[in-house]
Amino acid sequence: MKYIARELTENVNVSKSHPLAELAWLAGGLLAVVAILYLSLWWVADRIVPRVPVQVEVWAGQQLMARFPNRPDPQLTERVRNLVRLLPAASPLHRYDFSVSVMEQETVNALALPGGRIVIFSGLLKQIESENELTMILGHELGHYAHRDHLRGMGRGLGMTLALAMLFGQHSQVAGMASNLLIGMEMRYSQQQEKSADAYGLDLLVQTYGHAGGATDFFLRLADQDEGKLAYLLASHPHPQDRIAGLRKMIARQGYAVGPTVPLPETLVHQSRECP
Amino acid sequence: MEFIVNHLDLSLFAVLVTVGYAAGTFAERRHYASILTRERAQRQFQVMNAEAYFAEGRVKNSFMVSGSAVISIDYFKRLLAILRNIFGGRVKAYESLVDRARREAILRMKEEALTRGADMVVNLRLETAAIGNAANRRGRIGSVEVLAYGTAVTLNKT
Repeated sequence: MKYIARELTENVNVSKSHPLAELAWLAGGLLAVVAILYLSLWWVADRIVPRVPVQVEVWAGQQLMARFPNRPDPQLTERVRNLVRLLPAASPLHRYDFSVSVMEQETVNALALPGGRIVIFSGLLKQIESENELTMILGHELGHYAHRDHLRGMGRGLGMTLALAMLFGQHSQVAGMASNLLIGMEMRYSQQQEKSADAYGLDLLVQTYGHAGGATDFFLRLADQDEGKLAYLLASHPHPQDRIAGLRKMIARQGYAVGPTVPLPETLVHQSRECP
Repeated sequence: MEFIVNHLDLSLFAVLVTVGYAAGTFAERRHYASILTRERAQRQFQVMNAEAYFAEGRVKNSFMVSGSAVISIDYFKRLLAILRNIFGGRVKAYESLVDRARREAILRMKEEALTRGADMVVNLRLETAAIGNAANRRGRIGSVEVLAYGTAVTLNKT
């Protein structure tokens, strides 16, 4: 028998499809699954969150936050408690034990954590010049509690993290990365949520001082330093100009007076300026 | 820019996948070109996996020859495989790796046989291994090894 070697022109062992096309299909499918999951979590969270009793939230907050040291600032905490006292007796906020702590960070932001823990970054505290502004910001955070915004985001973030951990395994890089991204995203509220929180804060401000003076001061100062509108597309809060416009509209609609502002007491000024 | 800085891990992942795709495709193309030319050059050299029976006095000498090749996966192929783990189906991304390793190992075995003056290789066997089991461990890039070995024979010219 004569040996005749023929050249094989076809390779049956390697699929012909283009790897990028495969990636597009798989990643697209995954995105679709995640999107459906996300929307259903959104739907579920929106229905469950308003029914979560405050006690359950406070308990969960203690469990979650036990690891992080809580050094409440007595002055700011007292201010928040005074604000809560102004609320009608039926308000669910009376069931929270609010505390405010200051975190040394240059970020101009404040957080509403579950269980009534408000965290204000020292970067924000430095920007404040009057008591009225401070009241407005604290009232804004109370507005997030009143509307349970902080739970909505957490519920979705937690649900997505769990789902991804199930898909990819608990310790996989993918799940870790995605949950970092998602938790960052879920810490933000929608523009509508921010607007309602602003309205809540404005009402508390007027109840405290009898006028709406100082409601927009803080945002005016922010708008002056702003680098441009584009940066706000991905930011956590609406653009300061939009918030100023929204607040002015609310003030006009409610017929609130605008009076002179009260400067911050010395103790708070020192604290906010001397932060390293 | 801020997004890139804030999500450094995500950016790093994107860079690794892109580099993996570019470098992996480049390496694969070059390797296949080399495989094809070498296979063409060694086409007339017989290799078979059958246990061969020779007439008495036909075989002058016989010895074992082997060749092995290790091919690594890249980040892009790994991403495709991870996605495949969710949806199931053929892990097409790995097919070319195994194919390349197999053909490279056989080529190296043939080269050894040729340099040692063999006339053919019989009883060809293939073994594969995942190097160090790294492929199954978290965050590791795995490699596949294929070992080809067989009995080279030199024949008495009749």
